[in-house]
Amino acid sequence: MRGLQLSLNKNQKLRVERALEQLESLSLKSNSDASVTVADNISVDCEDAILKGHGTTELDGRVVATLCGVVERVNKLVYVRALRARYKPEIGDIIVGRVIEVAPKRWRLEINFSQDAVLMLSSMNLPDGIQRRRTAIDELNMRSIFEENDVICAEVRGFQHDGCLHLQARSQKYGKLERGQLLTIPPYLVKKRKQHFHHLEQYGIDLILGCNGYVWVGEHVEVKDPMLVDQSNKSEQQIADAENSTSANEVETCTPLETRQNICRTANAIRVLSTLGFMITVEVITEIVNLSTSLNLDIHEMLGPEFYVLVAEKEAERRSTLRKKR
Amino acid sequence: MKLLNVINGVNRQLIFFYNCKAVDKGEFHIKTSFCGGNHIGGSNVKDNVLCDFYKISDLLHNLEANMESLKRKLLEDTIKDSEAPPLKQHRENGLVGLDDSVACVHDVSYPEGYVPLNLTLANQEGVKPAKEFPFKLDPFQSEAIRCLDHGESVMVSAHTSAGKTVVALYAIAMSLQNKQRVIYTSPIKALSNQKYREFKEEFSDVGLMTGDVTIDPNASCLVMTTEIWRSMQYKGSEVTREVAWIIFDEVHYMRDRERGVVWEESIVMAPKNSQFVFLSATVPNAKEFADWVAKVHQQPCHIVYTDYRPTPLQHYIFPSGGNGLYLAVDEKGKFREDSFQKALNALVPVSEGDRKRENGKWQKGLVVGKAGEDSDIFKMVKMIIQRQYDPVICFSFSKRECEFLAMQMAKMDLNDDDEKVNVETIFWSAMDMLSDDDKKLPQVSNMLPLLKRGIGVHHSGLLPILKEVIEILFQEGFIKCLFATETFSIGLNMPAKTVVFTNVRKFDGDKFRWISSGEYIQMSGRAGRRGIDERGICILMVDEKIEPSTAKLMLKGSADPLNSAFHLSYNMLLNQIRSEDGDPENLLRNSFYQFQADRAIPELEKQAKVLEEERDSIIIEEEDSLENYYSLLKQYKTLKKDVRDIVFSRKHCLPFLQPGRLVCIQCTKNDEPSSSFSINDEVTWGVIINFERVTGLSEDDVNKKAEDANYTVDVLTRCRVHKDEVAKKTIKIVPLKDPGEPAVISIPTSQIDSLSSARLPIPRDLLPLESRENTLKKASEVVSRISKEGIPFLDPEDDMKVQSSSYRKTVRRIEALENLFEKHEIAKSPLIEQKLRVLHQKKELTDKIKSIRRTMRSSSALAFKDELKARKRVLRRLGYITSDDVVELKGKVAGEISSADELTLTELMFSGVFKDMKVEEIVSLLSCFVWQEKLQEAQKPRDELEFLFTQLRDIARRVAKVQLECKVQIDVENFVSSFRCDIMEAVYAWAKGSKFYQIMEITQVFEGSLIRAIRRLEEVLQQLIQAAKSIGETQLEAKFEDAVAKIKRDIVFAASLYL
Repeated sequence: MRGLQLSLNKNQKLRVERALEQLESLSLKSNSDASVTVADNISVDCEDAILKGHGTTELDGRVVATLCGVVERVNKLVYVRALRARYKPEIGDIIVGRVIEVAPKRWRLEINFSQDAVLMLSSMNLPDGIQRRRTAIDELNMRSIFEENDVICAEVRGFQHDGCLHLQARSQKYGKLERGQLLTIPPYLVKKRKQHFHHLEQYGIDLILGCNGYVWVGEHVEVKDPMLVDQSNKSEQQIADAENSTSANEVETCTPLETRQNICRTANAIRVLSTLGFMITVEVITEIVNLSTSLNLDIHEMLGPEFYVLVAEKEAERRSTLRKKR
Repeated sequence: MKLLNVINGVNRQLIFFYNCKAVDKGEFHIKTSFCGGNHIGGSNVKDNVLCDFYKISDLLHNLEANMESLKRKLLEDTIKDSEAPPLKQHRENGLVGLDDSVACVHDVSYPEGYVPLNLTLANQEGVKPAKEFPFKLDPFQSEAIRCLDHGESVMVSAHTSAGKTVVALYAIAMSLQNKQRVIYTSPIKALSNQKYREFKEEFSDVGLMTGDVTIDPNASCLVMTTEIWRSMQYKGSEVTREVAWIIFDEVHYMRDRERGVVWEESIVMAPKNSQFVFLSATVPNAKEFADWVAKVHQQPCHIVYTDYRPTPLQHYIFPSGGNGLYLAVDEKGKFREDSFQKALNALVPVSEGDRKRENGKWQKGLVVGKAGEDSDIFKMVKMIIQRQYDPVICFSFSKRECEFLAMQMAKMDLNDDDEKVNVETIFWSAMDMLSDDDKKLPQVSNMLPLLKRGIGVHHSGLLPILKEVIEILFQEGFIKCLFATETFSIGLNMPAKTVVFTNVRKFDGDKFRWISSGEYIQMSGRAGRRGIDERGICILMVDEKIEPSTAKLMLKGSADPLNSAFHLSYNMLLNQIRSEDGDPENLLRNSFYQFQADRAIPELEKQAKVLEEERDSIIIEEEDSLENYYSLLKQYKTLKKDVRDIVFSRKHCLPFLQPGRLVCIQCTKNDEPSSSFSINDEVTWGVIINFERVTGLSEDDVNKKAEDANYTVDVLTRCRVHKDEVAKKTIKIVPLKDPGEPAVISIPTSQIDSLSSARLPIPRDLLPLESRENTLKKASEVVSRISKEGIPFLDPEDDMKVQSSSYRKTVRRIEALENLFEKHEIAKSPLIEQKLRVLHQKKELTDKIKSIRRTMRSSSALAFKDELKARKRVLRRLGYITSDDVVELKGKVAGEISSADELTLTELMFSGVFKDMKVEEIVSLLSCFVWQEKLQEAQKPRDELEFLFTQLRDIARRVAKVQLECKVQIDVENFVSSFRCDIMEAVYAWAKGSKFYQIMEITQVFEGSLIRAIRRLEEVLQQLIQAAKSIGETQLEAKFEDAVAKIKRDIVFAASLYL
């Protein structure tokens, strides 16, 4: 909450402070003594067989933190979880990124990491889902799949031998993102979940919480579940379908107003949450969106100070009830 | 690859030389110079020689065809078979005329709601096939290829030798033509190597990926093991997006208890837009499999099934101790009952000494002949050679036995001098890649003399390189007699004229059982060389009595069905949970296991309905009291049986089963299924002749411990013999007074009611009818005489020294029950027997319905659902995943480990044990994860290692206990003892830098097994490196890398000859 800059009046200030105090009191105390800064000693009750994980190093026989953060222990493994770090990719993360270059057989993507990521043409499903043929035409047509500045969503495949971070798109639901907003939030606010793709049916929008802090809010796109696709007709009908749908999309050039409003509302909810520094999950987001609609707030009013205060109070309330339940 | 080329080159030329010796003396020098060069072994020299050789081989290339024929002719000459069929060199010749009779079944499975596209065949006609074969295709081959041309998946189910590879080749050619990638998976690394070589020669754009080697992973056609393909799919390799065709060879491996699940995972996860080629041995339920594929992948899947064998088989029986072969099944598939009986009669009973197989160790009937007498196997091989049935493969079921049998061939020499020279040349040029020390390994040096005499051994305990040399020598015809284990029966086409089964039983982990018909089919598939032999010959060495029905089942039975062996593993769960699309439940739902279970439900439902109707139609008066009586009766019977079990357990009754003792036995009931309902069983008397241990059908043996029912008693008694139309004899024991023949029959000890103390003298020869009649007469006299004064039974307690408290308790309860019977009203009813019978029927029906309902319940629910829950619980408890199924750090580590027990190894890693250990110790400790064979007299490792091992066991125990607490079914002690310390010392020494011969002195294990273990160890280390990387522990990572460097050397990692 430090560095929170909002023009609040006195009353609002008081309320925010109360809410924050409440939140602080609710946060688990156990970890508070485990936080370290760089060069802090990490006590390892003279156990010899300690495994030193990320963010630690050995210095003169002592285990020393190389990051600011919280010391985490798993059995004999000690590592430091950084509090506000840059995004660090892990295999299997779902991320959203922006194409910055189309290179031979690969796209280069900006993904909020210290280096750019690479999406190989071969790691990408073709738009109609058929198996790729290894021909030169494919390479020439790469721009028809993604161009510079396209926003796409992919999965982290891992660091390859050349030191590049490689991405992949396992199925049809990965790929180009259109008709929506890209938000940038601190990556540590995105909670790792089993699902990062969300379809908010009541609003007709898709929400992709990229682990790298890029969040996509956009119009819902129907992804054909590959398990259900009737492959029999794929050769002709499906392609025809695909053509139809794309052409239909082109004809119907705009997203319905309501959907657009929903997109903006959701995006603003995320903005508010991230400014306040709250963990972002789909549940919390829908809660905030609902709050705003129940208060009959206009979309732009969500970014006003009053709403921030309300959200903070709401969050404090939510957490305390959660606490009580336990 | 290079090496094999050389060998082939050498071989070709040597054959040429030795064929043309007389023709051209000039060439002869080259041969000698080559041999010389080879022995020097220096790389430069060798290369020069190689160059020369290629030149020469070019020069001689045009002569090759001649050489081939010359070679064949030579073979023919040596065979000197006046009746030898006209030799057909190539398959195209061999097949002509056979084609029309060769039928295959073609069927298609469509997914539900699928509308077949009416592909106009017209546009197919003009298209040139992707590959043309230089021979005429068999119907099943062209049928399968037609499916491929339509771009649809196909499952080809045919015998090993039938030529399934053609289909695979076509699929590869097709994909390459379309510039699409194709993957070929096989169950075994060695097979992958061989296939890689085969494909590489055919299409150049081929790569190989096994746990050991990776060659050109970007090639269009990739050969790999199924495990690699699975992990590629989990990791999301780019191949998965480019592969158009996936070929699963030997897909019947899916029923393998341990590894079968890998196939299911791979097939379920395979890209939705690729097509499949499944090659499998004959399986009766190919259709079911195809239905599954069609359902899971929503695409049609063709089935092409054929029973056809290019060379028909004749099955013979060789009775042990006998002298000749008896035809059991002729080439038309007819079972020869008469000659089968003759064979059994010729069976020389195993001498008394060998009968002592009681202590579990079941000595093979392959007796080493008494001094001066040849062993059976020797006689057999001699006969085969005399009759020119060679080359021959002798299958046996253990490595030791394999070697033991080969050793008995010491006197035999099957190769002439020229062949010997060739064998030696090939052998040494292969061994050339070994270091000098390794060349001196006993296994290497002992093998050569054997090979030179034309005798080979092939089993998994051999050094891989030796195994490959032997395969090559066998293919080239330098080995006339190969002793192999079952592993030789799968994979590359290596046929022989004759296949011998040295045993009819196989040890499958906990018992000796008959060879299954499926196994028999698989192994006998090696008999008969296409285009060379007119028919293949299978010889079954029988050393014990087999029922004709059993033999028929084995020899003529159908192939084993393809059943799912699905099971869950933590690694699988973690990988599924980890990926965004993955869902273990989805995998379960799509598994073949689930498919098979679902499919059975309607059938079960129907059965249950019918049975229920039947049950409800039975109406009984006074059912309640009758039921009461019935249950009492039941109790009484079980108690009686308990008593008998105690009294007639081996310990108690064996001393009293002397010949001549009068015994009271139960008569055979008239209506077999429902047991009699009177309190007293009908009994009769007989005279004991003999008793012996039974080795009946394995299925029956399983349930009984070696202690109790494994003995039969031969009893002389009166019998009524029926012969029904099938010429099957049914023998009934009848009371002595009834009409019937006196006969000696074997009965299980459980059928004895009681033993009397009287003994009769029995005549020596019971063969004549009168002597049996007389004995029985005497017996009945004795019985009638003594029965007046009460038959003197052997008292269990006083005479037979049965002194267990349970016995006394049971006897008391029987007495109490007998009292109850008297009080029972209904017992006096005259129709009681019939009534009881009806009630019994009803009860049986109810039981049946219940069991059907139970199976239905368990299969309608998602299979493994409970286990999945339990296993997830384990993962949560140990902190591998969070409560909302997000994989945590530990889970990521465990997800990397697929070649060892993932939980134990991860826990071991996180407990920090590795941190203080030396690299050698780490390697040594990890060896416990990869070694599964049980060693009898393994010595304990030294104290430091022992200490580490105890730590490992403690962790394993903890892991197992957590699993047990989470309701995963696991036997804690079994799990803990699955980690074995047998090779710790040897691996420690290897990591220390010892030579291979040195470590072989430390341990008794087979060379090949040790090498396999170390190679697998390297795989584990590679996975651990990845794991260490993911937790950021750089020191540990470096340690593992160091470990890899230390063990990856010399003979253990010598490249395959096929590469």
